[in-house]
Amino acid sequence: MSARNPGTNLDLQWVMKVRVNTQSVLKRAQNIQGLKTPKKQWQAAWLLKAVTCIDLTTLAGDDTPSNVHRLCLKALQPIRYDLLKSMDMHDKGITTAAVCVYPARVADAVKSLKAANSSLPVASVATGFPAGQTLLETRLQEVRLAVADGATEIDIVINRMLAITGQWEALYDEICQFRAACGDAHMKTILAVGELSTFTAVYRASLVAMMAGSDFIKTSTGKESVNATYPIAIVMARAIRDYYLSTGHKVGFKPAGGIRTAQEALVWLTLIKEELGDDWLHPHLFRFGASSLLADIERQIYHHVTGQYAAYHELPMA
Amino acid sequence: MAGSTTKTVQDIFQSMEYGPAAASSTASAQAWLDHHSRSLGLFIDGKFIHPAGRQSRSLTDSKGANVCSTVCVVDDDVSQCASSSVGGFKTWSGLTCYQRAKLLLKMVGTLGQHGQCWSELCEACGASCSPSNLVRLLQYYSSWAQLRDTLITNWTPLGVVAVVASDDCFLYALMLKVLPALAMGNSVIVVPGQSTAPPMLLLAQLFTAAGLPAGALNVVTGGDVTFGAKVAQNPSINHITYSGNKQDGVTLSKATAGMGVLVSFSPFIGATCPFIIFESADIDSAVDGVIETAFKKKKEVHWVLCVQESVLDSVVARLRLRMSGLKCVGLNSDEERVQVDAVVQEAQQQGATLVQPCVAPSSGAQYPPTVLCGVAPSSPSVVNLSSGPLLPLMTFRSNTEAVTLGNHSPDGRAASIWTEDLTLALETAKSLAVGSVWVNSHSVSDPCLPVSGHKDSGTCTDGGREGLYQFLRPCSSSSPLPRSSPVSMDYSKFGTATSPAVIPDDLDAASAPKPYLQFIGGKACKSVSGCSVAVQSPEGGSVLAYCPEGGRKDVRNAVEAAVKVHSGWMKKSPAARAQSLHSLAKGLEAKRRDIANLVHVQTGLSVDEAEKEVELSINKLSDWAAYCDKIQGGALPMPQSGSALSYAEALGVVGVVLPDKNPLLSMVTVLGATIATGNAVILVPSQRFPLPALAFIQVLQASDLPAGLVNVITGNRDQLTVALANHSVLKAIWYWGSMEGCQYLQYTCTSPLKTLCLFSQNVEDEDGGKEWCHPVVMEDMWRNAVQWKSVWIPTA
Repeated sequence: MSARNPGTNLDLQWVMKVRVNTQSVLKRAQNIQGLKTPKKQWQAAWLLKAVTCIDLTTLAGDDTPSNVHRLCLKALQPIRYDLLKSMDMHDKGITTAAVCVYPARVADAVKSLKAANSSLPVASVATGFPAGQTLLETRLQEVRLAVADGATEIDIVINRMLAITGQWEALYDEICQFRAACGDAHMKTILAVGELSTFTAVYRASLVAMMAGSDFIKTSTGKESVNATYPIAIVMARAIRDYYLSTGHKVGFKPAGGIRTAQEALVWLTLIKEELGDDWLHPHLFRFGASSLLADIERQIYHHVTGQYAAYHELPMA
Repeated sequence: MAGSTTKTVQDIFQSMEYGPAAASSTASAQAWLDHHSRSLGLFIDGKFIHPAGRQSRSLTDSKGANVCSTVCVVDDDVSQCASSSVGGFKTWSGLTCYQRAKLLLKMVGTLGQHGQCWSELCEACGASCSPSNLVRLLQYYSSWAQLRDTLITNWTPLGVVAVVASDDCFLYALMLKVLPALAMGNSVIVVPGQSTAPPMLLLAQLFTAAGLPAGALNVVTGGDVTFGAKVAQNPSINHITYSGNKQDGVTLSKATAGMGVLVSFSPFIGATCPFIIFESADIDSAVDGVIETAFKKKKEVHWVLCVQESVLDSVVARLRLRMSGLKCVGLNSDEERVQVDAVVQEAQQQGATLVQPCVAPSSGAQYPPTVLCGVAPSSPSVVNLSSGPLLPLMTFRSNTEAVTLGNHSPDGRAASIWTEDLTLALETAKSLAVGSVWVNSHSVSDPCLPVSGHKDSGTCTDGGREGLYQFLRPCSSSSPLPRSSPVSMDYSKFGTATSPAVIPDDLDAASAPKPYLQFIGGKACKSVSGCSVAVQSPEGGSVLAYCPEGGRKDVRNAVEAAVKVHSGWMKKSPAARAQSLHSLAKGLEAKRRDIANLVHVQTGLSVDEAEKEVELSINKLSDWAAYCDKIQGGALPMPQSGSALSYAEALGVVGVVLPDKNPLLSMVTVLGATIATGNAVILVPSQRFPLPALAFIQVLQASDLPAGLVNVITGNRDQLTVALANHSVLKAIWYWGSMEGCQYLQYTCTSPLKTLCLFSQNVEDEDGGKEWCHPVVMEDMWRNAVQWKSVWIPTA
């Protein structure tokens, strides 16, 4: 894994001079969606890459140790062994990138993975997910406790109030404190783009989050009405590129919410390849936040290998 | 392809490369070509004909495989085609507007059924034009066909229109002429370029299948563009319009000089256009735009990237990143590779640095996309930008410098400007001397946008309502030029004959002819040479007066004076311009008795008729004053969201050689048309009857027009015509005179290109100046005095 983003001082001048032309971004998104997605073995390989970038997620009120356990084991063997073997990929360590759960389930996930002899990272959402409308002290404590339970990646949500009202210094300070609370755990900052009004605000929030030391910036919680869309991804990817050109630090990108089909996953990979380049096509710089996506990818790979369309019960459930 | 099949999933998983592009099927196009035995004939009178014993020209695809061959026509075929078109015009123009519109709409359905074959054929011939674009054109022009008589009254179709294209012309540009010509009720002979010929032939067949009358659309193919002149030679053809590159356009213009038919030029392809990135731009989106448009194999324009100095580094850094994934672009030939190498080498020797995704392969007809950073306007790579995926990059300091840099080129086709600052965008759009401005976007085309080439980039407008008028003429007048055959003339000798000296016999001090002065830069003055010529009475007996014999230097001085005041005049509010014209009318009113008398003495008209001419002239000036704020563009109905604006802009300095008939009325009408629309003008009064114009100088002097806006130069008409033709600043010449003069101008005014309006004086009709007063003539005149600019500002 490459060096972490140490963050920089808050450069408000840089943040404020950002300009985003909405229609150009929308047009670019359309163009990318219009590009041909890979076929045949290219498609299979790209889909496997997508699998290795998934943060396999369950964030529900009714999560219990048993479904978290199933999730962990599916994460370790995301694609049926015989399918991988027929592509000669069975021994290449194809797992998802991490599992992602609520703080209260972190201990269960860590236990399940340890029992399976795996070092797969456990990610936890924190800081009053999804709304972030709890007190700072509570949010910080939530991060510390999740880390103490064994989470090595923390998905924090930003305080939208600060971003919407343009209090960038305060936002920067909060994220810096979260970063300190994370310690060695990697920090993914959720911008909740569906609740920011403009592309320019998304770009600015992205920059502030990166300056405050985020290892990833993430589109949304999956609980807002607008989630990961391609135009927003383009804006965030450009902010990442901007930050990289200025500081030399590569920050990762995680779209989350509403990504369900293998076809969409291919478009996402194309978008990242086009905007950020091949370096970002690895789990340490790119993640999908998804739960049902894996099932569709596995069916597509089944089709690639066998030429048949799988019934859902033919593939192991998560 | 052999290597790609061996790529394993594991390899690709590591490299994350794109797969090979799927080869698209061309089965239905191939079937159509096979049906024609791969040798396409001509499409005349609603069917394919295959004249025997003609030369043929074969078309190969990008891999060198034979696609098909086309026929090179001979004169017999052209006459057959022309007579079919004459018949086609009768049938087609005899239909009602509704019938024509319905047919164009029906074509949409026909195209829907055969769209696959059509696009495959375009693909195979390397002449891409998507069916959806064609459908948009058909729908747009069908609505104009329907409303022609309702919205465009007093105009009538020209007859047979020849649409000529060069080999590199885009199919879309070709159709942007064929369809409006048809929609206005003309019959069309298409002379396509090599790669556009097969799709054009297929389209003609589809049109016939949709019910287009035989002969309304004929397609003939030939060797090179001079063959367009062969077609033009046929006396049945009423108008030629050309789309393609500049070089072939010039050839065509010279070859058709003196045939009595004008060629109008669409914006030339291959023009150099500025792509301006301001510091207030969304730089990422601007760079996206560059990547999309600058490195194509087949380019409509050559972009020059102009970047504000303060954001140069971030633009170059982003270009570097975005270009890293680009592949080499194929060139047309090995010679082109040599050219490209030479340009790059020269730029490097002058200190330019290159941004490339990879080093150029040592040989072969391909080259990586390359940005040449740090070139200057004087660099050969900017001056002779011709081919290959090269993009020169220059920097500018201020907003004004951006405009200066963007305007400093002979071409005036288009510009792309990037800024989030609306005021800056509109100011820049207004100041750039180009036909299309794309704000935060590039290369947007739609038939509702009028596209014209400013400066050296073209002489006519395509698209929009404005683009329809090249296929129409005022119904009050017949064709301004009679068809004729070019005479053999020595162009270098034209206008060099000296006028005979006339010395009056009876030198009587009391009745000694009065010497008149001409009017340059706001001053009444003698000619630079000091010579004058005698003005004779209409019977030719006595000398009435002497007028200065102006020449090359007088024209030069006049142009210089005109340029100085022109931009100020253009920026004046229409109300201020109207005020000045009203004051001219008033001035003429005050002198009406003197001037009427001069008209009477000079032309031999009766006193009554002379007074009537002065009366009409005063009215005319008032008319033009009223027109000042009526000539305008507007907001255009683009299908995408955003704002499209069109502006009617002045041409610049216009040179006018006036007719002998109605010497005062004609002068006043032309003067009003040109300055009401914001131009400066140099008037050459009738050589026979200059006195009314010279007397009018007093009115000009007393008016509040800026000094130099209107200049009057008298003397030998041919000599002054030559002087006007050879001044590059003049953008347009309106000429009433001999057929030789017309031929001379058509031959000469090609580099730089001038917009010509030619009228043969031999057309004699006696209607007492009525033809100057018909409202449609005034509309025709102001339409000739403006050029259109369209500005596209897309929004989300």
